Amino acid sequence: MAGTNLAEREFIVNATPDRVWRLIGKVIFSVLPGMESMEILDENNFRALLRVKMMGSEWVLKLKGEMVDISPPESFSVRLLLEGLGGLVKADQKVAFAMAPVEGGKTSVVCGATAEGMGLLQKAFLTGQARSFARQTFEAIEKRLKELA
Amino acid sequence: MKVNVPEKWDREFDVVVVGWGSAGTAAAVTAHDQGAKVLILEKMANGGGNSAICGGNIIVPKGKEFLEYLDTLSFKTTEREILETFVAEALKNGDWIRQMGADVQVFRPLEVAYPTMIAGAGFPQVRGAENVVKYNIKGTPEEGKPSQRLWKFLSGLVAKRGIEVLTATPAQELVSNTRGEIIGVIAQKEGKRISIKARRGVILTCGGYENDPWMKWDYLPVKPLYFLGTPGNTGDGIRMAQKIGADLWHMTRLACLIAFKAPEFEAAFWVAFLSEGFLFVDKYGRRFVNEAGIEIHEYYKELSHFDVEKMEYPRVPLWAIFDEQTRKRGPLSRGTAGYNRDLYTWSLDNTVEMKKGWILQGKTAAELAAKISMEPKVLEQTLARYNHLCKAGKDEDYGRPREDLRPLEAPFYAIQLWPALINTQGGPRRDKESRVLDPGGKPVPRLYAAGELGSIWGFLYQGACNIGEALVFGRIAGKNAAAEKPWA
Repeated sequence: MAGTNLAEREFIVNATPDRVWRLIGKVIFSVLPGMESMEILDENNFRALLRVKMMGSEWVLKLKGEMVDISPPESFSVRLLLEGLGGLVKADQKVAFAMAPVEGGKTSVVCGATAEGMGLLQKAFLTGQARSFARQTFEAIEKRLKELA
Repeated sequence: MKVNVPEKWDREFDVVVVGWGSAGTAAAVTAHDQGAKVLILEKMANGGGNSAICGGNIIVPKGKEFLEYLDTLSFKTTEREILETFVAEALKNGDWIRQMGADVQVFRPLEVAYPTMIAGAGFPQVRGAENVVKYNIKGTPEEGKPSQRLWKFLSGLVAKRGIEVLTATPAQELVSNTRGEIIGVIAQKEGKRISIKARRGVILTCGGYENDPWMKWDYLPVKPLYFLGTPGNTGDGIRMAQKIGADLWHMTRLACLIAFKAPEFEAAFWVAFLSEGFLFVDKYGRRFVNEAGIEIHEYYKELSHFDVEKMEYPRVPLWAIFDEQTRKRGPLSRGTAGYNRDLYTWSLDNTVEMKKGWILQGKTAAELAAKISMEPKVLEQTLARYNHLCKAGKDEDYGRPREDLRPLEAPFYAIQLWPALINTQGGPRRDKESRVLDPGGKPVPRLYAAGELGSIWGFLYQGACNIGEALVFGRIAGKNAAAEKPWA
């Protein structure tokens, strides 16, 4: 079953794909909104706590992430499992990143987030929240990558 | 050479393997599969040694050009023909694992920690570096960390074959006859001395000397050095080999990280930062290095500066200074590798370690300096300078890359760090056939060695090569020992 598209973003960074590859892992983890207490389980797998604002309150969500389909320096994806609010929130998302060389030694970066495995109720309440989170994250990644390039 | 043949042997085997880690397993399994009756002696209560608690990665190079890379890294400390043999056989490491019933996956992490294990070459500027490819035993985190999966696979090979293993049985002496051949081993089992005849050969695979304080003090370039791996590595194989007249090599070589040492734990805790908000200072509060640019196995190089005026190592111990964001980002010591992995779980936000006094806090730089016996003004100046460089986006002092710079904000934290061994590389000198050599370059008859004990890594070390080397020369040692003509 195809997932629900949450957000997409494409931008050009003034650096080679190799340089972008070296930067992007650290950039993601440094700009992820509300990211706290990351625990690296085995280099491809991590757990973290996310402090997010939802429905007017601040909540702590448990995040489990796995790097998949890693093909340096072209692409990788992060599979994210979010859980919180005493089990009320459960979301399975996949965030894909693709880097391709463009003219002038620059790199095109394409980011896409899709939601997979959400129940109907959760979809109704949380899709907007997830979209906003993904958009904010992609904007922050673009800003930081461009600063560092 | 001293002749010490016992009047009566307690046990008899074709091949006796001393030490049960990756090299010991590869040797035992290969010898067994060639028809030899094999015994493994292990000093600790369980096998695995450093193999069961390391990063768990195995080198399987992309191509033969890997030889040029290793030749440069060895800096002429290892004969080229040994490196040639290694590369030829390391190319088959993946096939061997598959033949033995497991599978491998490429190790391609996103590198987010400081320091971190990296997917590629430790020295990418060297010709042939593009041939570095690390693998680990295929599996999920639920099936264990890479080294746990490695040891489950290796110990399973021994169990499946019914190869006898005597644990808690340290080997103490090699037995040699009048012809200088190594014909057995004297070991200690439940307080009793047992003599074990080896009709074809003895293979030493019992690791280095990370937990031998005197050998470390004598041979290694920075002092003191703690260890991260197994406490079982106390140089036993080196002493046994010396007693029968073996030559030694690579005794000054090591793989070394930074670690926190708590008195109540035998081994140290590997420390890494999950955020760029940290810096290192020496015991006087002075910054001394690009903290993000140290090759993960080569930390000792940055710490081994000796001040001849003060007669001390000013960077031992060093201190890591970090801020609130870094403290909350994640545990300073992760459970990926190390002997303490199964003994202690570091708290996610480091608060438990603060309560224990392992991590110290200061509302200001001066307050923190007072807690760690530093001149407040020096630490204040160091932090002010560092923050200025971060804000400017250029580390003019040590060249730390822009992406790794972030100004630190109060409150500040400090953790004391020491150089800590992943493993040592020295031991009995050997040739490409895994034969132990005497000082004249002649093989000691019927004696072989493989793995960390006298490894072939004599200068710079490429990550994942210790396990790769243990499998390669373990197989060679097992094959050659099993092919020896029985002496009795």
